[in-house]
Amino acid sequence: MLPMSERHPHHASYPELLACHECDTLSKIPALKPGRAARCRCCGHVLLRNPKGGLDRPIALYSAAFILLLLSNAFPFLTLEIQGRAEVANIFGASLAMYRAGMAELAVAVFLTTILAPALLITSSLYVLLGVRLRRPLPALRTLLSWISQLEPWVMLDVFMLGVLVAFVKLGNMATMHIGISLFAFVGLILASAAATAAFEPHLLWQRMAYGRARRHAG
Amino acid sequence: MRARDAGLAGCHTCGLVLHLPASGHTHCPRCGADMHFRKVNSVSTTWAFLLAAMIAYLPANLYPVMTVTSFGKAQSDTIMSGVMYLFLHGDWPLALIVFVASVLVPLLKMLALVYLLVSVQRRSHMRKQQRIRLYRIVELVGRWSMVDIFVVALLAALVNVGAIATIEPGVGAIAFTVVVILTMFAATSFDPRLIWD
Repeated sequence: MLPMSERHPHHASYPELLACHECDTLSKIPALKPGRAARCRCCGHVLLRNPKGGLDRPIALYSAAFILLLLSNAFPFLTLEIQGRAEVANIFGASLAMYRAGMAELAVAVFLTTILAPALLITSSLYVLLGVRLRRPLPALRTLLSWISQLEPWVMLDVFMLGVLVAFVKLGNMATMHIGISLFAFVGLILASAAATAAFEPHLLWQRMAYGRARRHAG
Repeated sequence: MRARDAGLAGCHTCGLVLHLPASGHTHCPRCGADMHFRKVNSVSTTWAFLLAAMIAYLPANLYPVMTVTSFGKAQSDTIMSGVMYLFLHGDWPLALIVFVASVLVPLLKMLALVYLLVSVQRRSHMRKQQRIRLYRIVELVGRWSMVDIFVVALLAALVNVGAIATIEPGVGAIAFTVVVILTMFAATSFDPRLIWD
């Protein structure tokens, strides 16, 4: 019925097959041209993508995102002027304000979604991509690669940007607002990380990783 | 052909398809993740997160998310009154986006998850394609509800200009964040493959 291919002492694994995450339908891994994606024939879920530009494009885009992440946290984000007094805030200031107001839980949530999760996602993606691209058996490649897809929902840069717009409107009546350098870097960061995510398919990296050095308890 | 019918399962982390032993549980040889035919206790875990979210939904909407104090006068805003303020004083397209993100999305998301859970528990065969689409939307839009929390954090960071005005986040903001996070956990613990079983 199905071709058997014993690749591991205790597991019969089928690297030529894919099981849809959303409906469990089996498909053969197709040969995809660059820029194409394979969808599940049962439910239409995207099974596998083959983004154009190989590994170099996501490496370039994540590097750009990394620089923009540093810039967007290094300079004033917004400046508010009320009656001649100016209040400067950066992104970290949003979590800091929550902490100072005695809401440490919210400070953690805001810090996680606007700074920590994006930073972890960008650096671990870069690390894994470079490790595979340069064929170096860097430590913790697998662990970081499995983190990446779990981190994604917690990166809320775009949601934060909508929050900035709302704050702008709410304060527009009572104060003058000035856009800081970091806000421009932040918009660039959103665009670069969206493009990087689109150019990055973790499945292809998993396929390129050798079985031999899998974690010990796997056997 | 479905993977489970062939005794196979796809790894949720790396996608490798494996033959599972009789116990129905193993570790993926490629990435080391736990592997099962279906997410373990998916329905009851999702119910637990969802019910907790529903409980937190009440204080999230009844208590103020922030209190603005200017010239000794304090004014508290709930999620709903914040949206109303935007409708009256800001531009309505933005008010509409915030209304959808912070009022409509959490409510519809919880209702959608209830519907998905009940239909899976009743082993319904109806409208599978629509239900999987509903699940994808639920997974995708949940995070946008955080927008209100970010607004409160930004306002609090910007408007602490001494005596002129202060903005304090309220208890409602914590409850609202709890709702968003719990519904996100509920969406990830739900196994969409159950729709087809």
